[in-house]
Amino acid sequence: MESMKKKIMEIEEIINNPEHIKTVDLKTLFNSFLSEIKNRIASYIGDYPTFIEPVFLEENVKIGDDVLLGPNVFIGTNSEIGNYVEISNSIIFENVKIGENFKIENCIISKNSVFNFSNLILKNSILSGINNREDDIRKIEL
Amino acid sequence: MPEREEKGFSRIKELESINLATDEIRDQVIQTKKEVEKDNKKLAEQLNRKFKSHKIKSYDIVGAIGAGKTAILERITEKLGLNYRILVICGDITTRVDANRIEKHNAETIQINTGRECALNAYHIHQIIKNKDLNDYDIVFIENVGNLICPSEFILGTDKRMVIVSITEGEWVIEKHPMLFKMSDIAVINKIDLLERLGTNLDKMINDAKKINPNIDVITTSAKKGQNIDKLMELMGL
Repeated sequence: MESMKKKIMEIEEIINNPEHIKTVDLKTLFNSFLSEIKNRIASYIGDYPTFIEPVFLEENVKIGDDVLLGPNVFIGTNSEIGNYVEISNSIIFENVKIGENFKIENCIISKNSVFNFSNLILKNSILSGINNREDDIRKIEL
Repeated sequence: MPEREEKGFSRIKELESINLATDEIRDQVIQTKKEVEKDNKKLAEQLNRKFKSHKIKSYDIVGAIGAGKTAILERITEKLGLNYRILVICGDITTRVDANRIEKHNAETIQINTGRECALNAYHIHQIIKNKDLNDYDIVFIENVGNLICPSEFILGTDKRMVIVSITEGEWVIEKHPMLFKMSDIAVINKIDLLERLGTNLDKMINDAKKINPNIDVITTSAKKGQNIDKLMELMGL
């Protein structure tokens, strides 16, 4: 757990300074973090999403209907995942809101990010900020 | 039916329930069902090619809750021991109970919790396999969600499918669930250590399986006592 926390903090620090991101370093750290959450499956009673382990949910994560999470997914405290969302190989930090029908693969989404719309496929990116439509999204390639 | 109208059936949870679709969306629902089935088949074929090209033996294990799927896998992985590198994918509605049991026998396990879905599909397996180096494995077992109905809808791309029932489910269980027996290569009738006590008509069960699928291999086992596990492994080509 300690090493996991350390790595997630390192990742957070890197993505908070986007101009300094060295994609290669971040990728290594990202993969190493995802391998740490091995053999974990969240027990989430609600709308019964599908989980492919490892899936790590922090406190008070809200998950919509018909959601598929995993493998290799970390979701931070208080984040909200909309209906019909699919997430794999990704880190979602705390207080993130994902709209309906997003498919997210190999992404890091920084804390307090909001996606206030529906229907989008996101791959291999670092994302942040308040996004009220697809055009608002500023992606950094991962 | 106001409630029915209110929901509008905008979401059809179970694609096979096309009779729930209103006339306006009936064509669309049928079209979607066909596309989904086609996609599952395509993914399953792709998985099978991957397994074969890595010389991996692969098995989809289906059967009702409590038939003994996990117990038989525990026996098999125990016997295979350290000689093989084994990946076991376990499907359940919730919990990691099965994966925890099996990983005690030197197998790597991945648990899938399907939530509301009553069977694994090829996409679930594809999502796991694409993250794995298949050079690391000799055998892949997939223990499907405990259910004798839904898994028949989705092939998973394994070489063999094995259906497990137990005599405690009653002698009509095979006759009542023909589809999975039609689509399986091996039928296992488990818990025969209880035969004397229960008086189940075992011959009927065996004959039913053969009648439904003349090509199916039928074997009786007791996972609890370890009876016929070697013979089962032979049938599986292990």
